[in-house]
Amino acid sequence: MKWAYYPGCSARSTCAELNGATHRVAQKLGVELVELESATCTGARELRAIDPIGFYTLNVRILALAEQQQLPLLTICNTCTLNVLDAHAAFTDDPALAHEVNERLAGEGLNYSGRTRISHFLWMLYENIGEDELRKRVVRPLNGLTVAAFYGCHITRPPGRYGFVDSRNNVALERLAVILGCQPIDYSGRTECCGFHTAAHDERISIKLSGQHILSAKANGAKTMVTPCPLCHTVLDGFQREIEDDMGTKLEMPVLHLPQLVGLALGMTHEELGIDRHMIALPPLAENAGASATNNSLI
Amino acid sequence: MKTLDTDVVIVGGGAAGCFAALKLHEKGVRPLIICKGWVGKSGASIFAGNLVISGQLLGNTVQEASNTAEFLIKYHNQFLIDQNWARRCGQWIEQVYYPELESAGLYFRRDDSGNMVTSPGKIRSIAANVQGNSGVPFMDLRRKQIIKAGIPRLEETVVTALLQREDGSVGGVFALDYLTGEYVVVRAKAVILATGYSDRLHARSTGTREMSADGVAMAWRAGAAMSNLEMQWWHTNDIAHPPSWQRMQVYPNPMLGSEKSARMVNSQGEEFFNQQVDDPLAFGPYTVQLKALVKQVHAGKARYDGGYYAGFDHCNTDEVENYTSYAKGYKQLGLQFPQDLIETAVTAHYRQGGVDVDNKTMRASVPGLYVAGGLGGHSNGLIALATYDGKVVADGVANDFTSLRSAEIPQSRIDAEKKRLDQFLAEKGDVPPVVIKDALRKIMWDNAGVEKDDASLNAALDDIDRLRLELLPRMNVAFKGRRVNYEWLDAIDLTNMIDACELIIHSSIERRESRGPFMRRDFPATDNTNWLSANIMIKTDNGFRFEQRPYELPFFQPGFATKNNMEVPW
Amino acid sequence: MVNLELQGIDARRLGQAENGDSLKARNTAIHDGDHLSVKIKRSADDRFDSHRVPYQKWMRVLDALNYVAEHDAPDLAYRWFCGSKMCGSCAVRMNGREVLACWEAAVPEMTIEPLRNLPVIRDLVVDRGPYERRVAAFEPWLERTEPYSGFPEPLSHKDIKNASKALDCISCMACYSACPVIGLGDLTDFAGPAPLVQLGQTALDPRNDPAKVRRALEQSGIFNCVSCYKCEEVCPAGIPIVSGIIEPLKAKAAELLPAMARHPRAFRAIVAARGRIDPGALILRVQGLLALARIPRLLRMLARGKINPLKTLLCIKTAAASGAARILSRTGA
Repeated sequence: MKWAYYPGCSARSTCAELNGATHRVAQKLGVELVELESATCTGARELRAIDPIGFYTLNVRILALAEQQQLPLLTICNTCTLNVLDAHAAFTDDPALAHEVNERLAGEGLNYSGRTRISHFLWMLYENIGEDELRKRVVRPLNGLTVAAFYGCHITRPPGRYGFVDSRNNVALERLAVILGCQPIDYSGRTECCGFHTAAHDERISIKLSGQHILSAKANGAKTMVTPCPLCHTVLDGFQREIEDDMGTKLEMPVLHLPQLVGLALGMTHEELGIDRHMIALPPLAENAGASATNNSLI
Repeated sequence: MKTLDTDVVIVGGGAAGCFAALKLHEKGVRPLIICKGWVGKSGASIFAGNLVISGQLLGNTVQEASNTAEFLIKYHNQFLIDQNWARRCGQWIEQVYYPELESAGLYFRRDDSGNMVTSPGKIRSIAANVQGNSGVPFMDLRRKQIIKAGIPRLEETVVTALLQREDGSVGGVFALDYLTGEYVVVRAKAVILATGYSDRLHARSTGTREMSADGVAMAWRAGAAMSNLEMQWWHTNDIAHPPSWQRMQVYPNPMLGSEKSARMVNSQGEEFFNQQVDDPLAFGPYTVQLKALVKQVHAGKARYDGGYYAGFDHCNTDEVENYTSYAKGYKQLGLQFPQDLIETAVTAHYRQGGVDVDNKTMRASVPGLYVAGGLGGHSNGLIALATYDGKVVADGVANDFTSLRSAEIPQSRIDAEKKRLDQFLAEKGDVPPVVIKDALRKIMWDNAGVEKDDASLNAALDDIDRLRLELLPRMNVAFKGRRVNYEWLDAIDLTNMIDACELIIHSSIERRESRGPFMRRDFPATDNTNWLSANIMIKTDNGFRFEQRPYELPFFQPGFATKNNMEVPW
Repeated sequence: MVNLELQGIDARRLGQAENGDSLKARNTAIHDGDHLSVKIKRSADDRFDSHRVPYQKWMRVLDALNYVAEHDAPDLAYRWFCGSKMCGSCAVRMNGREVLACWEAAVPEMTIEPLRNLPVIRDLVVDRGPYERRVAAFEPWLERTEPYSGFPEPLSHKDIKNASKALDCISCMACYSACPVIGLGDLTDFAGPAPLVQLGQTALDPRNDPAKVRRALEQSGIFNCVSCYKCEEVCPAGIPIVSGIIEPLKAKAAELLPAMARHPRAFRAIVAARGRIDPGALILRVQGLLALARIPRLLRMLARGKINPLKTLLCIKTAAASGAARILSRTGA
């Protein structure tokens, strides 16, 4: 299957290992990625607040670039995903906005007709590969590795986008973890916020929020965390030493990008998946095998 | 115990109370609001669905202006209203009311082109923000105006007694802050009771939790005369399940921007009421709906507590959702909208009667005591009317101000009230107050409900006597702490409720006719010869007596002497 | 080879069906004759009391509380006034999630606690003082720059659309309780979702005096919203608090208080220049030289190749730069 691939900004800079892991795992699964080189940033949270029309135009442009190639769009970051979904919905619901946006894209010879299908890597695993096929591909079941899933806000909320009355009812990551042989852990931070979007001007918020989540994961027996969003990863892993300083305690909680967890089960190495670039090392898997069960496992 | 002094105490933080406070403040008279709930966030005012246009506002024709007046006098008040007052009120609404609200910032719903959205038809209305939800931003604006003006307010504080001077004039109130458990005495030159008219006296009532006819009971105890206490509206379309939604209405009104309104079907699925079709003049057609329902109940195709349904299955979703909140309840129950209808039932709604007042000054029959809004016993059913009362009472108090008395309140009366309230906490029984409240409400529902007669009303009095003798002495407030003690509050409420129910029943026995929503099986005719009058209840040394005060008919007349109420269109 | 066809799963909603998440599921899960098991947090002894409540059709959490108060625990302190989603007084936490008790369907097992982030007075009754003070500090009323022109004044729904959504607010405090930034207490000056919605009612009203809006925004801490959407999740009125209120308020802040909006303005400028965000550039622009003070982290990041100072400082553009520049130069800001 072929996708227009949009890695976003983080995966092309501070979380470049995510981009590498995504490419490697996609290749292993027979998924072809055609990167949209000229796609811009989706604007994170900043652009949509202070420049709505600029925000919609840049995001629809990404969708238009994919549509131009007649390919569905694959994302690997939660905030990117919500942004393109919101832009697509606004484009579809508001003909006046659609017209204005296309007018601004015309100078580049682009035009969007609203047909691009959007999928996050996590959803692609379920919808296009499927649980059965994934199960077959697992060559190294992760032997009860206790993992705490950290969904991140932007693929679970708002309800207007994803339809959950209670976003804690999400199961996609835990179900996937089981397919890969892990033992998912229940803990208070599963669908909570890492605080990334205030980190540039006040890091303390993200340090305090993520600190609570990592601590809870640890207290419930998790040996690693996994997240489908590089922005969450940037705080959970990237700021973990600062979190430890703030709490006055060691956490040593490895945090994996989603494709890295998948890749490990597919038999790839830490190096291939870029896990060695993280702040917190993931010990070799043999150490994690057979981690003891706690009362807090899900499924 | 805290003692405060002010110029005017306003009891109640709804439409009437808030406006009275603002107007008094403007005049340099110091008000203090004491609200049993939260100012602008409790009571019936927040439930205003939409706002009727009077006079020739917004392109209303002369005919439409007349329709509005006619509807108010006939359909909302069944001629039991001072038509001259109604005219003054209508003029004020046209000239002052809407401009004042909009100037202060209330958003009357427009469309994207900037046109005010109205409901088409014989009587037109608009909405504050969203139809079905106009009361929320309306009262929120009042709350903020009160805060901006720096008017002091005591919230979650219940006034338990009017404090009278030796000469019988009202000079203040005794209150309980039920969050802290502290008693508060507020001394003033005048007290305005604005406690509303949707009291929870029946098993199904639209009143909010705290509405226990306190105003009626306290005014009566102070010696004020009452008027038309028996006149009571009923909502026909309130949701039957769950119980907490008994005041959630499937509004029968025409929808903004549409020619349609909700329809009602009986247990066989036959449509029996659809306001825009059946009686377009009856905007907000509570009595007309009720009569339609009574026919179904008599035919065995509906009950007062359910068995009939209401909804918008004849509309498309946009028609309802463009400008109204009417779909929300259905969706919250997981129903399909607009296809699914919902079971509805009757709910006791506004009491049209209340404290008898001079409607030019809003004075009650006791010096120092004034009334505004739903408690005022002189008009029914629109937030604009309650607001107008607020203006009139502010004028009335301000004009009287220099001649109001100011002698001290005897300490013995303050001590007596404190002792009365303390006593509730000392009770040692086995029945929680809320159980007794429910028993009282059941008596009222069974015997003084939609249809009543002399036998049922007297049975209600007997049942209440029994309740006083047998249940009340067993009342027990289990939690003896004073902070946030809702049981204690329930016990205090209960005294007022029992007194008010008795007054209402006596008043009902006295009015020997049927009129609009007041339906007597033993007097089925509307009798304009003998009963086109206010039914005034006057306290005497050994009980009470009744007087009548006929209404003038300068602008609209009923056009018949007597007729079976069920055949009267209003 | 991978299956090209969709597997028939809507992966982004995984968990909704099996956990009975939908409103329909929640309202049809229990039947007459069933019983609910209800635990309620009591202040006295800091304990949870257990109760068994018979189910009634379409029962709300409030109906269960009323049953408990009428049969088991008349001393339970809990607030409600209207029972129909108008007064906003009955919000509580049910199974760890903020709900409006009169609006939320009862579920078979319920643990009911008071709202977070507000002091508990007794049992489920909380002190709204902190919220009231924040709202009052905003002076949330209209101050016109032009005199009122008479009824009806010229105004279109388009102009006031976001303020109109804010007017649906019944100040139930569910969002205030759910907000993780408010949960951090005095750490930030973030006013919180509920106060900001109240502010939005007038601040997003085109008739309002910008100087007044500016004064209010100065004390709003508006850029400390983390955009987690927990407020939107719990709002019983369905107000789009983040996208419909907070983001437009951020836009107003960027316009009226540019210094406060350094982060989003820097963000936009970098995207316009480079096409994608260079996090190093962003941090430098927002924090200035303070960013360089974090030497240990900088070294760690450098060692792992997570930052590329040359790329940052030489303003290297990506292939997206021209597209971004063309679009963002046109939209101004």
